[in-house]
Amino acid sequence: MKVVVDQKLCEGNTKCQQTAPEVFEVRDDDKSHLLIDNPPERMREKVKLAAKLCPRQAITVSDD
Amino acid sequence: METESALSLESLNIIGPDHYAKNGYPHREWTYLRKHKPVFWCEYPKTDPFWAITKHADIIQISKQPRLFLNGPRLLVFVNEMGLERSPTPPFRHLLDMDPPDHGEYRAVVSRRFTPRGVRPLQPEIENITRQVLDDVTGRDKCDFVLDVSSKIPLAVIAELLGVPHKDWEQLFRWTNETIGGGDPEFQAGTTAQETMDRSRLGLFQYFTDMVVERMKHPANDITSVVANGKVNGQPIPQFEMLSYYFLLVVAGNETTRNATTGGLLAFIEHPDQWQKLKRNPELIDSAVEEIVRWTTPVIQFARTATEDTVIRGQKIKAGESVCLFYPSANRDEEVFEQPFKFDIGRDPNPHIAFGLGEHFCLGANLARLELKVIFSQLAQRLDHAELAGPVERLRSSFVGGIKHMPIRMKMKPAAAAA
Ligand code: HEM
Ligand code: SF4
Repeated sequence: MKVVVDQKLCEGNTKCQQTAPEVFEVRDDDKSHLLIDNPPERMREKVKLAAKLCPRQAITVSDD
Repeated sequence: METESALSLESLNIIGPDHYAKNGYPHREWTYLRKHKPVFWCEYPKTDPFWAITKHADIIQISKQPRLFLNGPRLLVFVNEMGLERSPTPPFRHLLDMDPPDHGEYRAVVSRRFTPRGVRPLQPEIENITRQVLDDVTGRDKCDFVLDVSSKIPLAVIAELLGVPHKDWEQLFRWTNETIGGGDPEFQAGTTAQETMDRSRLGLFQYFTDMVVERMKHPANDITSVVANGKVNGQPIPQFEMLSYYFLLVVAGNETTRNATTGGLLAFIEHPDQWQKLKRNPELIDSAVEEIVRWTTPVIQFARTATEDTVIRGQKIKAGESVCLFYPSANRDEEVFEQPFKFDIGRDPNPHIAFGLGEHFCLGANLARLELKVIFSQLAQRLDHAELAGPVERLRSSFVGGIKHMPIRMKMKPAAAAA
């Protein structure tokens, strides 16, 4: 599973970090950074939920 | 409540401002549409036709695609009661009527001021402003909660953010009311809604023109300075866009937060058990704020215009047609919320979309949340009793759901006693 955060859209609302703290971290630049680029399959649900909840719709999850 | 069978697609009206002034939000109609016709073609007199979108999932699908569904051509559904000619030059150009790629460039100029980290330093000032406003009504047994409390705080916060001096706050207040409530007779300073809006827009433009000149010479730590000295694609922001920016900030954060505050207190008056629950459990404040925002959903609608033929929920939408996103309807969607018509300050999860979503997601959402948190925390500590002391009067608008007047009988404790 591949996760990308669109840094132009992201505004540090931290929903992603609250939902999947193993994967997303919002840093001092107010942007969400990936702690793992290819999160393991067992995290799929969580990561998808983060993408769904992101107010700016900045997260995309794809399969490869 | 009348039965559902009294409604029919031919007769239901979800856009007439009179309807909103008289009855408040048409939840009965929206509920009917969600069930029977969630993507509904509307043709009303004096209104360009549009698709009414009433389901949560459909509003999300549309908001996620800012290149397929544009803001620019038609920002909202407007009932043209005066038969106005469409003006050849738009009166503004700001974030709400921009589209990608410009939109993101403009938004980035101020966006860091509005992130959770960006708004946190404002908390002490918001607390002071709120305390002062509540102090002013302490000792009285009656007030108009809108005039005396809920309208004062958001305005003061925005004025503070923009660096507008205290002496000019009243003037800002008037311009804002007249611009957004121009369709309501009480706020008409000119003979027509359009004249009133034009006049207040020009007033604001002139005011900020003077301020910009000053802030270019002497930048301060306020948002007026950030915009005045901001760059878009490496160039200074043109004057028209700059003035529109201030206009948007003044208008967008005012009526909305005011109405969430008024509607929030009204919800608590109508649901005393929830009020007691908040007083006893101050840690519920964050989820209470989310529920207040869901329950009141102050922005009724924005529109988008399709750039290509597309399909929503099986319904074909043609290029050039507009869709109208009814946020309050989405926030009562029974497919998303358990018991959507129950006001429950402990609601979790609460995936409401009162702040929209995606490209245009409310820039001020974190600020609004902080304001509401401060206001309702202080009210929970200080307001011992509140009840309606007369009828609630609603704004005549099908854009922002407003309460103009809400007379209450109350007992407010001094801040010291509350601490
Ligand atoms: C409870 C209070 C508020 C509500 C319910 C609210 C609601 C909304 C909604 C629904 C949108 C459009 C979202 C979309 O199209 O997806 C919006 C946009 C916006 N709001 Fe708010 N708002 C509130 C408070 C504020 C405050 C306090 C500010 C302060 C500056 C603000 C500034 C803006 C701006 C600048 C935009 C345009 C963003 C863009 O187009 O990129 N709002 N708001
Ligand atoms: S939820 Fe979205 S906007 Fe917020 S920090 Fe995460 S990626 Fe960024």
